Amino acid sequence: MAEGVKGPERFLPLTPAVFHILLALADGEKHGYAIMQEVEDMTEGRVQMGPGTLYGSIKRMLAAGLIEESDDRPDPALDDERRRYYRLAALGRKVLRQETERMAGLMALARRKHVWSGVGSRSIQT
Amino acid sequence: MRERNSAPASIDLSVQIYTWLLAAYPERFRAEYGPHMAQVFRDVCQRESRRGGLPGMAALWARTSLDLIRTSVEEHIDRGIDMNRENFVRWSGWALMAGAVLFAAGLILGSFDTNYSDPIGGLDAFYEISQIVGIVLGQILFVIGLLGLRAGYGTRSGSVGGALLLIAVIGGVVSLGGMLIMNSSELGWTAWALGLLTMTLALTGYGGVAIRRRVFSRWNFAPLLAGVVIPVLFGVSAAIDSSGGSMEDWTFALGVSATAVGLILLGYRMQAEAATTSQALA
Repeated sequence: MAEGVKGPERFLPLTPAVFHILLALADGEKHGYAIMQEVEDMTEGRVQMGPGTLYGSIKRMLAAGLIEESDDRPDPALDDERRRYYRLAALGRKVLRQETERMAGLMALARRKHVWSGVGSRSIQT
Repeated sequence: MRERNSAPASIDLSVQIYTWLLAAYPERFRAEYGPHMAQVFRDVCQRESRRGGLPGMAALWARTSLDLIRTSVEEHIDRGIDMNRENFVRWSGWALMAGAVLFAAGLILGSFDTNYSDPIGGLDAFYEISQIVGIVLGQILFVIGLLGLRAGYGTRSGSVGGALLLIAVIGGVVSLGGMLIMNSSELGWTAWALGLLTMTLALTGYGGVAIRRRVFSRWNFAPLLAGVVIPVLFGVSAAIDSSGGSMEDWTFALGVSATAVGLILLGYRMQAEAATTSQALA
């Protein structure tokens, strides 16, 4: 997190773990294991976070105000009530948007430089 | 966890071993997240056992061991950085208090000196030496204290508060430099006075920020009290000088004492809050 930069930009670029956790929470609050599963599903198993990476990232993201713990607890009949649920904070949503915009900018640059020419570029450009 | 009773023994054993291994993390992190990490590990064990059997469990253990080693080191480094910062803030609080006493004592004792060019010896020389030692040591300790204030409270003071603290540090350094070259250069007096004025004015501005943002848990008026009196004394002294008079010694002593009280309160808060945080991090 660069010092001297203000606003959501100071968090960019995000680490892969933080980016994937933010993305996993983009469509609603989840508990730790659900975040882990969502990340694996989103990346087709390419990103597998261990409990240490997951909760170390959650600790730092809570401290930075990117996510917050949800007060809502699930119905004990449906889930373990001891689980903690997390959701995106307003700052986390802004940071996620800016990071995806940054990535989109890089994609556009790579396209202009024909990085994918001849290697399945059609599917990437869509 | 509803599935625990039906879990194979290998899962229970794995979770038990993982729970023991959590001792590798700092105590505070373990207390906060350990049970949740163990619960997540149990969920992943159940999934891997269903999907891949024993080879799946072996692969999970290989991944988890690497994760545990890497992240436990990261957490210890994080904790170490926090502890070092809090220790620095705590000691800089003490430096600010000691600096305030030395600075005030030096200035007040120096004001009793009747002849600035007398040879070493006698009561006047004692006043002179006390003044020099008190002010120089006091200002060194001020710079340390202000650096600690910025390190500990810069972020929560916002961009304006952080900038004012930086200006106060720069003012303190300039003033100290002026003091050190005072005997060899006439510029020394100017640098000392301007540096001290900059430092205290910036501290006054920071006092406003501290009150508005409630930077400290108590005594948010302390930075304002520490900063505002010296600039007022400068102004009053200049006004009296221009009218041909001179400032009463008691006015000067009262003003310097008020500054010292503000700095002592500020330093006390810094070391007390940092000590509490250090205990919480331990």
